[in-house]
Amino acid sequence: MKAKKPRNLRRRNAIAGYLFICPFIIGFVAFLLQPMCESFYMSLCRVNIVANAPKGESPFDMNIITTLKETNYYRAFFVEAQYKTELINTLKAMAVQVPAILVFSFFIALLLNQRFKGRGFVRAIFFLPVILSSGVLVGLETNNILMSGIKDVIAESSGPGITDALKDILQAIGIGQKILKPVFDIIEAVYDVALASGIQIVIFLSGLQTVSPSMYEAAKIEGCTAWESFWKITLPMVSSIILVNLVYTVVDFFMRSDNKVMEIITTKINPGMDYGLGSAMAWAYFGIVIVILGVVAAILSKVVYYYE
Amino acid sequence: MSIIKRRQPNRSRAGDIGVYLVLIMFGSVMVLPLIYATCQAFKPLDEIYKFPPTILVRNPTLDNFSDLFVTMSQSWVPFTRYIFNTVFITAVGTVGQLLIASMGAYVLAKYDFPGGRKFFTLITTALMFNGYVTSIPSYLIMAKIGWVDSYLAAFVPAFAAPMGIFLMKQFMEGIPDALLEAAKIDGAKEWGIFTKIVMPNVKPAWLTLIIFSVQGLWNNPQSTYIYSEELKTLPYALQQITAGGVARAGAGAAVTLVMMIVPIGIFIFSESNILETMASSGIKD
Repeated sequence: MKAKKPRNLRRRNAIAGYLFICPFIIGFVAFLLQPMCESFYMSLCRVNIVANAPKGESPFDMNIITTLKETNYYRAFFVEAQYKTELINTLKAMAVQVPAILVFSFFIALLLNQRFKGRGFVRAIFFLPVILSSGVLVGLETNNILMSGIKDVIAESSGPGITDALKDILQAIGIGQKILKPVFDIIEAVYDVALASGIQIVIFLSGLQTVSPSMYEAAKIEGCTAWESFWKITLPMVSSIILVNLVYTVVDFFMRSDNKVMEIITTKINPGMDYGLGSAMAWAYFGIVIVILGVVAAILSKVVYYYE
Repeated sequence: MSIIKRRQPNRSRAGDIGVYLVLIMFGSVMVLPLIYATCQAFKPLDEIYKFPPTILVRNPTLDNFSDLFVTMSQSWVPFTRYIFNTVFITAVGTVGQLLIASMGAYVLAKYDFPGGRKFFTLITTALMFNGYVTSIPSYLIMAKIGWVDSYLAAFVPAFAAPMGIFLMKQFMEGIPDALLEAAKIDGAKEWGIFTKIVMPNVKPAWLTLIIFSVQGLWNNPQSTYIYSEELKTLPYALQQITAGGVARAGAGAAVTLVMMIVPIGIFIFSESNILETMASSGIKD
Protein backbone atom coordinates (compact mmCIF):
# COMPACT_ATOMS: atom_id res chain seq x y z
CA MET A 1 0.00 0.00 0.00
CA LYS A 2 2.73 2.46 -0.83
CA ALA A 3 0.83 4.43 -3.43
CA LYS A 4 -1.48 7.02 -1.96
CA LYS A 5 -3.58 7.16 -5.11
CA PRO A 6 -7.25 6.94 -4.26
CA ARG A 7 -8.33 3.56 -5.49
CA ASN A 8 -11.67 2.12 -4.84
CA LEU A 9 -11.86 -0.16 -1.83
CA ARG A 10 -12.85 -3.29 -3.69
CA ARG A 11 -9.93 -3.06 -6.04
CA ARG A 12 -7.51 -2.38 -3.25
CA ASN A 13 -8.83 -5.33 -1.36
CA ALA A 14 -8.47 -7.53 -4.38
CA ILE A 15 -4.84 -6.56 -4.90
CA ALA A 16 -3.93 -7.15 -1.27
CA GLY A 17 -5.78 -10.45 -1.43
CA TYR A 18 -3.84 -11.63 -4.45
CA LEU A 19 -0.56 -10.64 -2.85
CA PHE A 20 -1.42 -12.63 0.25
CA ILE A 21 -2.48 -15.75 -1.52
CA CYS A 22 -0.05 -15.78 -4.41
CA PRO A 23 2.83 -17.67 -2.71
CA PHE A 24 0.43 -20.44 -1.89
CA ILE A 25 -1.03 -20.57 -5.37
CA ILE A 26 2.41 -20.80 -6.95
CA GLY A 27 3.47 -23.62 -4.66
CA PHE A 28 0.18 -25.39 -5.01
CA VAL A 29 0.22 -25.33 -8.78
CA ALA A 30 3.88 -26.27 -9.09
CA PHE A 31 4.13 -29.03 -6.53
CA LEU A 32 0.65 -30.47 -6.34
CA LEU A 33 -1.54 -29.62 -9.28
CA GLN A 34 1.06 -30.22 -11.92
CA PRO A 35 2.14 -33.65 -10.65
CA MET A 36 -1.51 -34.59 -10.22
CA CYS A 37 -2.33 -33.70 -13.80
CA GLU A 38 0.70 -35.58 -15.04
CA SER A 39 -0.22 -38.69 -13.11
CA PHE A 40 -3.73 -38.47 -14.52
CA TYR A 41 -2.29 -38.29 -18.00
CA MET A 42 -0.13 -41.28 -17.15
CA SER A 43 -3.19 -43.23 -16.06
CA LEU A 44 -4.56 -42.89 -19.57
CA CYS A 45 -1.39 -44.02 -21.25
CA ARG A 46 0.67 -47.04 -21.84
CA VAL A 47 3.87 -46.02 -20.13
CA ASN A 48 7.16 -47.41 -21.29
CA ILE A 49 10.45 -46.56 -19.75
CA VAL A 50 13.04 -45.31 -22.15
CA ALA A 51 16.46 -46.59 -21.35
CA ASN A 52 19.19 -43.94 -21.38
CA ALA A 53 16.90 -40.99 -21.84
CA PRO A 54 18.79 -37.76 -22.57
CA LYS A 55 19.25 -35.57 -19.54
CA GLY A 56 16.44 -33.15 -18.81
CA GLU A 57 13.91 -35.11 -20.81
CA SER A 58 11.18 -37.33 -19.46
CA PRO A 59 12.35 -40.93 -19.21
CA PHE A 60 8.88 -42.14 -20.10
CA ASP A 61 7.40 -42.90 -23.42
CA MET A 62 3.65 -42.38 -23.16
CA ASN A 63 0.98 -43.30 -25.67
CA ILE A 64 -2.69 -42.75 -25.04
CA ILE A 65 -4.61 -46.00 -25.14
CA THR A 66 -7.62 -45.89 -27.37
CA THR A 67 -9.23 -49.32 -27.15
CA LEU A 68 -11.50 -49.67 -24.13
CA LYS A 69 -10.40 -53.16 -23.17
CA GLU A 70 -6.80 -52.10 -22.94
CA THR A 71 -7.25 -48.96 -20.88
CA ASN A 72 -5.71 -49.01 -17.45
CA TYR A 73 -9.06 -48.34 -15.84
CA TYR A 74 -10.66 -51.35 -17.51
CA ARG A 75 -7.73 -53.48 -16.46
CA ALA A 76 -7.91 -52.21 -12.88
CA PHE A 77 -11.53 -53.21 -12.43
CA PHE A 78 -11.97 -56.25 -14.63
CA VAL A 79 -8.60 -57.86 -15.06
CA GLU A 80 -6.98 -57.36 -11.65
CA ALA A 81 -9.46 -59.28 -9.51
CA GLN A 82 -7.88 -58.32 -6.22
CA TYR A 83 -8.26 -54.59 -6.71
CA LYS A 84 -12.05 -54.51 -6.77
CA THR A 85 -12.53 -56.69 -3.68
CA GLU A 86 -9.98 -54.76 -1.65
CA LEU A 87 -11.55 -51.49 -2.74
CA ILE A 88 -14.95 -52.61 -1.51
CA ASN A 89 -13.49 -53.88 1.76
CA THR A 90 -11.68 -50.62 2.37
CA LEU A 91 -14.77 -48.56 1.71
CA LYS A 92 -16.79 -50.74 4.07
CA ALA A 93 -14.22 -50.38 6.82
CA MET A 94 -14.17 -46.66 6.20
CA ALA A 95 -17.95 -46.39 6.55
CA VAL A 96 -17.75 -48.00 9.99
CA GLN A 97 -14.57 -46.47 11.32
CA VAL A 98 -14.82 -42.85 10.26
CA PRO A 99 -18.00 -42.08 12.25
CA ALA A 100 -16.58 -44.05 15.17
CA ILE A 101 -13.36 -42.03 15.09
CA LEU A 102 -15.26 -38.75 14.88
CA VAL A 103 -17.56 -39.54 17.79
CA PHE A 104 -14.75 -40.95 19.88
CA SER A 105 -12.41 -38.02 19.32
CA PHE A 106 -15.14 -35.46 19.93
CA PHE A 107 -16.04 -37.19 23.16
CA ILE A 108 -12.45 -37.31 24.35
CA ALA A 109 -11.89 -33.69 23.31
CA LEU A 110 -14.90 -32.65 25.37
CA LEU A 111 -13.51 -34.47 28.37
CA LEU A 112 -10.05 -33.03 27.86
CA ASN A 113 -11.46 -29.54 27.55
CA GLN A 114 -12.78 -29.71 31.10
CA ARG A 115 -10.78 -28.44 33.97
CA PHE A 116 -9.25 -31.12 36.11
CA LYS A 117 -5.94 -31.87 37.68
CA GLY A 118 -3.18 -33.04 35.37
CA ARG A 119 -4.97 -32.00 32.21
CA GLY A 120 -1.83 -31.10 30.28
CA PHE A 121 -0.39 -34.48 31.03
CA VAL A 122 -3.50 -36.35 29.98
CA ARG A 123 -3.69 -34.32 26.77
CA ALA A 124 -0.14 -35.23 25.93
CA ILE A 125 -0.99 -38.89 26.42
CA PHE A 126 -3.83 -38.64 23.95
CA PHE A 127 -1.56 -37.13 21.38
CA LEU A 128 0.96 -39.96 21.57
CA PRO A 129 -0.64 -42.21 18.96
CA VAL A 130 -0.14 -39.48 16.38
CA ILE A 131 3.56 -39.60 16.93
CA LEU A 132 3.72 -43.34 17.18
CA SER A 133 1.51 -44.21 14.28
CA SER A 134 2.98 -41.68 11.93
CA GLY A 135 5.40 -42.02 9.10
CA VAL A 136 8.44 -43.91 10.11
CA LEU A 137 6.93 -46.33 12.52
CA VAL A 138 4.14 -47.40 10.22
CA GLY A 139 6.49 -47.54 7.28
CA LEU A 140 8.78 -49.82 9.19
CA GLU A 141 5.96 -51.93 10.49
CA THR A 142 6.73 -54.90 8.32
CA ASN A 143 10.25 -55.34 9.55
CA ASN A 144 9.77 -53.55 12.80
CA ILE A 145 9.25 -55.60 15.86
CA LEU A 146 7.95 -52.61 17.76
CA MET A 147 4.44 -52.31 16.39
CA SER A 148 3.88 -55.99 15.80
CA GLY A 149 5.11 -56.62 19.32
CA ILE A 150 2.54 -54.21 20.69
CA LYS A 151 -0.22 -55.92 18.76
CA ASP A 152 0.81 -59.30 20.13
CA VAL A 153 0.86 -57.99 23.67
CA ILE A 154 -2.56 -56.46 23.31
CA ALA A 155 -4.08 -59.50 21.69
CA GLU A 156 -2.65 -61.60 24.48
CA SER A 157 -3.76 -59.43 27.37
CA SER A 158 -7.25 -58.44 26.26
CA GLY A 159 -8.06 -61.00 23.64
CA PRO A 160 -11.41 -61.28 21.94
CA GLY A 161 -12.87 -62.31 25.30
CA ILE A 162 -15.14 -59.37 26.00
CA THR A 163 -16.74 -59.14 22.61
CA ASP A 164 -17.23 -62.90 22.41
CA ALA A 165 -18.89 -62.96 25.80
CA LEU A 166 -21.15 -60.09 24.78
CA LYS A 167 -22.07 -61.83 21.56
CA ASP A 168 -23.02 -64.98 23.45
CA ILE A 169 -25.21 -63.07 25.85
CA LEU A 170 -26.95 -61.15 23.11
CA GLN A 171 -27.54 -64.26 21.06
CA ALA A 172 -28.98 -65.97 24.09
CA ILE A 173 -31.45 -63.13 24.52
CA GLY A 174 -32.32 -63.46 20.86
CA ILE A 175 -30.99 -60.29 19.33
CA GLY A 176 -29.70 -60.98 15.86
CA GLN A 177 -26.03 -60.53 15.22
CA LYS A 178 -26.64 -58.77 11.96
CA ILE A 179 -27.99 -55.59 13.53
CA LEU A 180 -25.20 -55.41 16.03
CA LYS A 181 -22.41 -56.33 13.68
CA PRO A 182 -21.23 -52.76 13.11
CA VAL A 183 -21.17 -52.26 16.87
CA PHE A 184 -19.02 -55.33 17.34
CA ASP A 185 -16.78 -54.26 14.51
CA ILE A 186 -16.20 -50.98 16.30
CA ILE A 187 -15.58 -52.66 19.64
CA GLU A 188 -13.10 -54.99 18.06
CA ALA A 189 -11.44 -52.10 16.33
CA VAL A 190 -11.41 -49.92 19.43
CA TYR A 191 -7.66 -49.96 19.53
CA ASP A 192 -7.43 -48.88 15.91
CA VAL A 193 -10.05 -46.22 16.45
CA ALA A 194 -8.28 -44.85 19.50
CA LEU A 195 -4.94 -44.82 17.74
CA ALA A 196 -6.36 -43.14 14.66
CA SER A 197 -7.98 -40.27 16.51
CA GLY A 198 -5.02 -38.36 17.88
CA ILE A 199 -5.03 -35.47 15.43
CA GLN A 200 -8.81 -35.32 15.44
CA ILE A 201 -8.77 -34.85 19.19
CA VAL A 202 -6.29 -32.00 18.82
CA ILE A 203 -8.39 -30.33 16.11
CA PHE A 204 -11.56 -30.66 18.17
CA LEU A 205 -9.76 -29.31 21.21
CA SER A 206 -8.61 -26.23 19.37
CA GLY A 207 -12.14 -25.82 18.07
CA LEU A 208 -13.55 -26.03 21.57
CA GLN A 209 -10.99 -23.49 22.73
CA THR A 210 -12.29 -20.88 20.32
CA VAL A 211 -15.77 -20.98 21.86
CA SER A 212 -15.98 -17.96 24.10
CA PRO A 213 -16.59 -18.80 27.78
CA SER A 214 -18.84 -15.77 28.09
CA MET A 215 -21.38 -17.60 25.96
CA TYR A 216 -21.62 -20.44 28.43
CA GLU A 217 -21.79 -17.92 31.24
CA ALA A 218 -24.68 -16.11 29.60
CA ALA A 219 -26.45 -19.38 28.99
CA LYS A 220 -25.96 -20.40 32.59
CA ILE A 221 -27.42 -17.15 33.83
CA GLU A 222 -30.43 -17.79 31.64
CA GLY A 223 -30.88 -21.11 33.40
CA CYS A 224 -29.40 -23.39 30.78
CA THR A 225 -28.22 -26.81 31.97
CA ALA A 226 -24.90 -28.26 30.88
CA TRP A 227 -26.71 -30.74 28.67
CA GLU A 228 -28.64 -27.97 26.90
CA SER A 229 -25.63 -25.76 26.46
CA PHE A 230 -23.80 -28.66 24.85
CA TRP A 231 -26.47 -29.02 22.17
CA LYS A 232 -27.20 -25.30 21.75
CA ILE A 233 -23.73 -23.81 22.09
CA THR A 234 -20.92 -26.31 21.84
CA LEU A 235 -22.22 -28.37 18.95
CA PRO A 236 -23.19 -25.51 16.63
CA MET A 237 -19.99 -23.62 17.43
CA VAL A 238 -17.74 -26.52 16.51
CA SER A 239 -19.86 -27.78 13.62
CA SER A 240 -17.41 -26.37 11.09
CA ILE A 241 -14.64 -28.21 12.89
CA ILE A 242 -16.59 -31.44 12.61
CA LEU A 243 -16.51 -30.95 8.87
CA VAL A 244 -12.76 -30.36 8.97
CA ASN A 245 -12.30 -33.49 10.99
CA LEU A 246 -14.49 -35.55 8.72
CA VAL A 247 -12.38 -34.58 5.77
CA TYR A 248 -9.18 -35.17 7.68
CA THR A 249 -10.28 -38.58 8.93
CA VAL A 250 -11.28 -39.77 5.48
CA VAL A 251 -8.01 -38.51 4.06
CA ASP A 252 -6.05 -40.17 6.81
CA PHE A 253 -7.87 -43.44 6.30
CA PHE A 254 -7.36 -43.18 2.60
CA MET A 255 -3.64 -42.52 2.84
CA ARG A 256 -2.73 -44.96 5.55
CA SER A 257 0.06 -47.13 4.32
CA ASP A 258 -1.42 -50.29 5.82
CA ASN A 259 -4.40 -49.74 3.57
CA LYS A 260 -4.81 -52.75 1.25
CA VAL A 261 -5.69 -50.73 -1.81
CA MET A 262 -2.63 -48.56 -1.37
CA GLU A 263 -0.58 -51.69 -1.02
CA ILE A 264 -1.78 -52.96 -4.38
CA ILE A 265 -1.09 -49.59 -5.96
CA THR A 266 2.41 -49.31 -4.55
CA THR A 267 3.35 -52.81 -5.59
CA LYS A 268 2.09 -52.09 -9.10
CA ILE A 269 4.23 -48.98 -9.26
CA ASN A 270 7.38 -49.96 -7.48
CA PRO A 271 8.35 -53.51 -8.20
CA GLY A 272 5.79 -53.80 -11.01
CA MET A 273 6.93 -50.69 -12.91
CA ASP A 274 3.43 -50.43 -14.35
CA TYR A 275 2.98 -46.68 -13.82
CA GLY A 276 -0.06 -46.43 -16.02
CA LEU A 277 -2.01 -49.11 -14.16
CA GLY A 278 -0.89 -47.86 -10.75
CA SER A 279 -1.95 -44.30 -11.57
CA ALA A 280 -5.28 -45.51 -12.92
CA MET A 281 -5.96 -47.47 -9.75
CA ALA A 282 -5.07 -44.49 -7.61
CA TRP A 283 -7.27 -42.17 -9.64
CA ALA A 284 -10.22 -44.53 -9.51
CA TYR A 285 -9.80 -44.83 -5.75
CA PHE A 286 -9.45 -41.08 -5.45
CA GLY A 287 -12.53 -40.48 -7.57
CA ILE A 288 -14.70 -42.78 -5.48
CA VAL A 289 -13.59 -41.24 -2.21
CA ILE A 290 -14.11 -37.72 -3.56
CA VAL A 291 -17.66 -38.54 -4.57
CA ILE A 292 -18.49 -40.07 -1.19
CA LEU A 293 -16.89 -37.23 0.70
CA GLY A 294 -18.54 -34.66 -1.51
CA VAL A 295 -21.98 -36.06 -0.79
CA VAL A 296 -21.38 -36.28 2.96
CA ALA A 297 -19.80 -32.82 3.12
CA ALA A 298 -22.67 -31.32 1.12
CA ILE A 299 -25.15 -32.75 3.61
CA LEU A 300 -23.06 -31.67 6.59
CA SER A 301 -22.40 -28.17 5.34
CA LYS A 302 -26.16 -27.57 5.35
CA VAL A 303 -26.09 -27.85 9.13
CA VAL A 304 -22.75 -26.17 9.73
CA TYR A 305 -23.21 -22.96 11.57
CA TYR A 306 -20.85 -20.03 11.06
CA TYR A 307 -20.73 -17.54 13.86
CA GLU A 308 -21.35 -14.02 12.61
CA MET B 1 -11.12 -16.21 35.71
CA SER B 2 -11.61 -17.16 39.30
CA ILE B 3 -15.09 -18.42 38.49
CA ILE B 4 -13.75 -20.91 36.01
CA LYS B 5 -10.99 -22.15 38.23
CA ARG B 6 -13.41 -23.30 40.88
CA ARG B 7 -14.52 -26.91 40.74
CA GLN B 8 -17.59 -27.04 38.56
CA PRO B 9 -20.47 -26.74 40.97
CA ASN B 10 -23.03 -28.53 38.84
CA ARG B 11 -21.04 -31.71 38.43
CA SER B 12 -21.29 -34.42 41.01
CA ARG B 13 -18.36 -36.28 42.48
CA ALA B 14 -19.57 -39.41 40.68
CA GLY B 15 -19.34 -37.49 37.41
CA ASP B 16 -15.75 -36.55 38.23
CA ILE B 17 -14.87 -40.15 38.90
CA GLY B 18 -16.58 -41.19 35.67
CA VAL B 19 -14.53 -38.71 33.67
CA TYR B 20 -11.32 -39.93 35.22
CA LEU B 21 -12.27 -43.57 34.63
CA VAL B 22 -12.96 -43.06 30.95
CA LEU B 23 -9.77 -41.05 30.52
CA ILE B 24 -7.69 -43.62 32.33
CA MET B 25 -9.16 -46.40 30.23
CA PHE B 26 -8.47 -44.83 26.86
CA GLY B 27 -5.35 -43.11 28.08
CA SER B 28 -3.80 -46.44 28.92
CA VAL B 29 -4.51 -47.67 25.40
CA MET B 30 -2.73 -44.59 24.08
CA VAL B 31 0.20 -44.70 26.41
CA LEU B 32 0.94 -48.39 26.06
CA PRO B 33 2.89 -48.08 22.79
CA LEU B 34 5.00 -45.30 24.27
CA ILE B 35 5.89 -47.31 27.35
CA TYR B 36 6.63 -50.25 25.14
CA ALA B 37 8.85 -48.20 22.84
CA THR B 38 10.67 -46.62 25.75
CA CYS B 39 11.28 -49.94 27.46
CA GLN B 40 12.33 -51.48 24.18
CA ALA B 41 15.18 -49.00 23.98
CA PHE B 42 16.54 -50.15 27.33
CA LYS B 43 16.07 -53.88 26.82
CA PRO B 44 19.01 -56.18 26.25
CA LEU B 45 18.82 -58.04 22.95
CA ASP B 46 17.58 -61.34 24.33
CA GLU B 47 14.65 -59.58 25.98
CA ILE B 48 13.65 -57.79 22.78
CA TYR B 49 13.16 -61.11 21.07
CA LYS B 50 11.49 -62.86 23.93
CA PHE B 51 8.25 -64.63 23.19
CA PRO B 52 5.63 -63.84 24.33
CA PRO B 53 6.82 -60.22 24.26
CA THR B 54 6.87 -58.33 27.53
CA ILE B 55 6.05 -54.67 27.86
CA LEU B 56 8.23 -53.71 30.78
CA VAL B 57 11.97 -54.07 30.86
CA ARG B 58 13.49 -56.54 33.32
CA ASN B 59 17.21 -55.78 33.16
CA PRO B 60 17.57 -52.24 31.83
CA THR B 61 20.84 -51.49 30.04
CA LEU B 62 22.26 -48.61 28.05
CA ASP B 63 23.87 -51.00 25.58
CA ASN B 64 21.48 -50.02 22.83
CA PHE B 65 22.57 -46.40 22.98
CA SER B 66 26.25 -47.22 23.02
CA ASP B 67 25.55 -49.66 20.18
CA LEU B 68 23.92 -46.84 18.30
CA PHE B 69 26.99 -44.66 18.65
CA VAL B 70 29.30 -47.45 17.64
CA THR B 71 27.18 -48.18 14.58
CA MET B 72 26.91 -44.54 13.65
CA SER B 73 30.57 -43.77 14.15
CA GLN B 74 31.32 -46.31 11.45
CA SER B 75 29.23 -44.45 8.91
CA TRP B 76 31.12 -41.67 7.20
CA VAL B 77 28.67 -38.94 8.17
CA PRO B 78 28.49 -38.11 11.88
CA PHE B 79 25.20 -38.86 13.57
CA THR B 80 24.76 -35.20 14.53
CA ARG B 81 24.64 -34.36 10.83
CA TYR B 82 21.47 -36.42 10.43
CA ILE B 83 19.98 -34.66 13.42
CA PHE B 84 20.90 -31.24 12.04
CA ASN B 85 19.38 -32.06 8.65
CA THR B 86 16.12 -33.18 10.17
CA VAL B 87 15.89 -30.21 12.50
CA PHE B 88 16.70 -27.77 9.72
CA ILE B 89 14.20 -29.21 7.24
CA THR B 90 11.51 -29.43 9.89
CA ALA B 91 12.03 -25.90 11.16
CA VAL B 92 12.15 -24.16 7.79
CA GLY B 93 9.31 -26.24 6.39
CA THR B 94 7.08 -25.55 9.36
CA VAL B 95 7.69 -21.81 9.51
CA GLY B 96 7.20 -21.46 5.77
CA GLN B 97 4.04 -23.50 5.74
CA LEU B 98 2.60 -21.62 8.67
CA LEU B 99 3.21 -18.24 7.07
CA ILE B 100 2.11 -19.10 3.55
CA ALA B 101 -0.88 -21.16 4.59
CA SER B 102 -2.19 -18.53 7.00
CA MET B 103 -1.82 -15.73 4.49
CA GLY B 104 -3.67 -17.72 1.89
CA ALA B 105 -6.28 -18.85 4.37
CA TYR B 106 -6.91 -15.28 5.49
CA VAL B 107 -7.73 -14.29 1.93
CA LEU B 108 -9.92 -17.32 1.34
CA ALA B 109 -11.80 -16.84 4.59
CA LYS B 110 -12.23 -13.09 4.68
CA TYR B 111 -11.99 -11.75 1.14
CA ASP B 112 -14.55 -12.01 -1.51
CA PHE B 113 -11.99 -12.63 -4.18
CA PRO B 114 -13.00 -13.98 -7.57
CA GLY B 115 -12.63 -17.72 -7.87
CA GLY B 116 -11.80 -18.05 -4.19
CA ARG B 117 -14.51 -20.56 -3.51
CA LYS B 118 -13.55 -22.71 -6.47
CA PHE B 119 -9.91 -22.59 -5.50
CA PHE B 120 -10.76 -23.74 -2.01
CA THR B 121 -12.74 -26.68 -3.39
CA LEU B 122 -9.71 -27.55 -5.45
CA ILE B 123 -7.51 -27.47 -2.34
CA THR B 124 -9.90 -29.68 -0.42
CA THR B 125 -9.95 -32.10 -3.31
CA ALA B 126 -6.19 -32.15 -3.55
CA LEU B 127 -6.07 -33.04 0.13
CA MET B 128 -7.43 -36.42 -0.69
CA PHE B 129 -4.92 -37.28 -3.28
CA ASN B 130 -2.25 -39.70 -2.29
CA GLY B 131 1.26 -38.41 -2.55
CA TYR B 132 2.72 -41.73 -3.53
CA VAL B 133 1.15 -41.69 -6.94
CA THR B 134 2.43 -38.25 -7.79
CA SER B 135 5.91 -39.06 -6.56
CA ILE B 136 7.18 -39.84 -10.05
CA PRO B 137 5.86 -36.69 -11.75
CA SER B 138 7.01 -34.69 -8.70
CA TYR B 139 10.46 -36.12 -9.09
CA LEU B 140 10.54 -35.12 -12.73
CA ILE B 141 9.55 -31.58 -11.79
CA MET B 142 12.23 -31.41 -9.13
CA ALA B 143 14.74 -32.67 -11.64
CA LYS B 144 13.66 -30.01 -14.12
CA ILE B 145 14.19 -27.14 -11.70
CA GLY B 146 17.37 -28.73 -10.44
CA TRP B 147 16.35 -29.20 -6.83
CA VAL B 148 17.10 -32.87 -6.65
CA ASP B 149 19.56 -33.59 -3.90
CA SER B 150 19.13 -30.32 -2.04
CA TYR B 151 17.29 -29.19 1.04
CA LEU B 152 14.92 -27.20 -1.15
CA ALA B 153 13.23 -30.33 -2.47
CA ALA B 154 12.55 -31.42 1.07
CA PHE B 155 10.88 -28.33 2.46
CA VAL B 156 9.54 -26.18 -0.38
CA PRO B 157 6.73 -28.59 -1.31
CA ALA B 158 5.72 -28.58 2.36
CA PHE B 159 5.01 -24.84 2.08
CA ALA B 160 2.13 -25.56 -0.23
CA ALA B 161 0.68 -28.51 1.63
CA PRO B 162 -3.10 -28.19 1.34
CA MET B 163 -3.77 -29.38 4.88
CA GLY B 164 -2.41 -26.18 6.40
CA ILE B 165 -4.51 -23.77 4.40
CA PHE B 166 -7.57 -25.94 4.87
CA LEU B 167 -7.22 -25.99 8.64
CA MET B 168 -6.42 -22.29 8.96
CA LYS B 169 -9.28 -21.23 6.73
CA GLN B 170 -11.84 -23.11 8.78
CA PHE B 171 -10.67 -21.42 11.95
CA MET B 172 -10.42 -17.96 10.41
CA GLU B 173 -14.04 -18.09 9.32
CA GLY B 174 -14.88 -17.95 13.00
CA ILE B 175 -13.45 -14.44 13.40
CA PRO B 176 -16.30 -11.93 13.25
CA ASP B 177 -16.12 -9.52 10.33
CA ALA B 178 -16.96 -6.69 12.68
CA LEU B 179 -13.58 -7.08 14.33
CA LEU B 180 -11.77 -6.64 11.03
CA GLU B 181 -13.95 -3.73 10.00
CA ALA B 182 -13.30 -2.00 13.29
CA ALA B 183 -9.57 -2.37 12.72
CA LYS B 184 -9.92 -1.02 9.18
CA ILE B 185 -11.84 2.00 10.42
CA ASP B 186 -9.10 2.63 12.96
CA GLY B 187 -6.67 2.78 10.08
CA ALA B 188 -5.02 -0.63 10.19
CA LYS B 189 -3.33 -1.80 7.00
CA GLU B 190 -3.96 -5.27 5.60
CA TRP B 191 -0.70 -6.63 6.93
CA GLY B 192 -1.44 -5.10 10.33
CA ILE B 193 -4.87 -6.67 10.45
CA PHE B 194 -3.39 -10.00 9.54
CA THR B 195 -0.56 -9.98 12.07
CA LYS B 196 -2.20 -8.11 14.93
CA ILE B 197 -5.79 -9.31 14.80
CA VAL B 198 -6.28 -12.43 12.72
CA MET B 199 -3.23 -14.39 13.78
CA PRO B 200 -3.54 -13.89 17.56
CA ASN B 201 -7.19 -14.88 17.33
CA VAL B 202 -6.50 -18.19 15.64
CA LYS B 203 -3.56 -19.12 17.80
CA PRO B 204 -5.02 -22.55 18.59
CA ALA B 205 -5.25 -23.20 14.86
CA TRP B 206 -1.68 -22.35 14.06
CA LEU B 207 -0.34 -24.18 17.03
CA THR B 208 -2.23 -27.21 15.74
CA LEU B 209 -0.73 -26.61 12.34
CA ILE B 210 2.74 -26.51 13.85
CA ILE B 211 2.11 -29.87 15.48
CA PHE B 212 0.92 -31.25 12.17
CA SER B 213 3.71 -29.91 10.13
CA VAL B 214 6.47 -30.82 12.54
CA GLN B 215 5.34 -34.36 12.88
CA GLY B 216 4.96 -34.74 9.12
CA LEU B 217 8.37 -33.33 8.27
CA TRP B 218 10.18 -34.84 11.21
CA ASN B 219 9.13 -38.34 10.27
CA ASN B 220 9.66 -38.00 6.57
CA PRO B 221 12.71 -39.93 5.37
CA GLN B 222 12.94 -37.57 2.34
CA SER B 223 14.68 -40.37 0.55
CA THR B 224 12.99 -39.68 -2.78
CA TYR B 225 14.88 -36.52 -3.58
CA ILE B 226 18.01 -36.67 -1.50
CA TYR B 227 20.96 -38.88 -2.32
CA SER B 228 23.98 -37.27 -0.70
CA GLU B 229 24.67 -38.91 2.58
CA GLU B 230 25.42 -35.60 4.26
CA LEU B 231 21.94 -34.27 3.45
CA LYS B 232 20.03 -37.28 4.71
CA THR B 233 17.66 -37.21 7.64
CA LEU B 234 17.21 -39.01 10.90
CA PRO B 235 14.28 -41.20 9.77
CA TYR B 236 16.48 -42.34 6.91
CA ALA B 237 19.21 -43.24 9.36
CA LEU B 238 16.64 -45.13 11.38
CA GLN B 239 15.59 -47.08 8.31
CA GLN B 240 19.19 -47.94 7.59
CA ILE B 241 19.76 -49.11 11.12
CA THR B 242 16.69 -51.31 11.29
CA ALA B 243 17.46 -52.69 7.85
CA GLY B 244 20.60 -54.05 9.50
CA GLY B 245 18.43 -56.85 10.83
CA VAL B 246 18.33 -58.72 14.08
CA ALA B 247 21.61 -57.53 15.52
CA ARG B 248 20.65 -53.88 15.08
CA ALA B 249 17.24 -54.18 16.72
CA GLY B 250 18.52 -52.64 19.93
CA ALA B 251 20.06 -49.64 18.20
CA GLY B 252 16.87 -49.27 16.18
CA ALA B 253 14.80 -49.11 19.34
CA ALA B 254 17.16 -46.47 20.72
CA VAL B 255 16.80 -44.26 17.62
CA THR B 256 13.05 -44.69 17.74
CA LEU B 257 13.10 -43.25 21.22
CA VAL B 258 15.25 -40.31 20.11
CA MET B 259 12.85 -39.69 17.22
CA MET B 260 9.80 -39.61 19.44
CA ILE B 261 11.10 -37.06 21.90
CA VAL B 262 10.90 -34.00 19.64
CA PRO B 263 7.29 -34.29 18.43
CA ILE B 264 6.17 -34.98 21.98
CA GLY B 265 8.06 -31.91 23.19
CA ILE B 266 6.55 -29.72 20.47
CA PHE B 267 3.14 -31.00 21.35
CA ILE B 268 3.45 -30.29 25.04
CA PHE B 269 4.76 -26.80 24.27
CA SER B 270 1.92 -25.92 21.90
CA GLU B 271 -0.82 -27.46 23.96
CA SER B 272 0.14 -25.47 27.04
CA ASN B 273 -0.01 -22.37 24.85
CA ILE B 274 -3.40 -23.20 23.41
CA LEU B 275 -4.84 -22.93 26.88
CA GLU B 276 -3.85 -19.29 27.23
CA THR B 277 -5.41 -18.12 24.02
CA MET B 278 -9.03 -17.65 24.89
CA ALA B 279 -8.25 -15.51 27.91
CA SER B 280 -6.28 -13.02 25.85
CA SER B 281 -8.24 -13.00 22.61
CA GLY B 282 -10.25 -10.01 21.56
CA ILE B 283 -13.47 -11.66 20.45
CA LYS B 284 -16.19 -10.22 22.63
CA ASP B 285 -19.44 -9.81 20.82
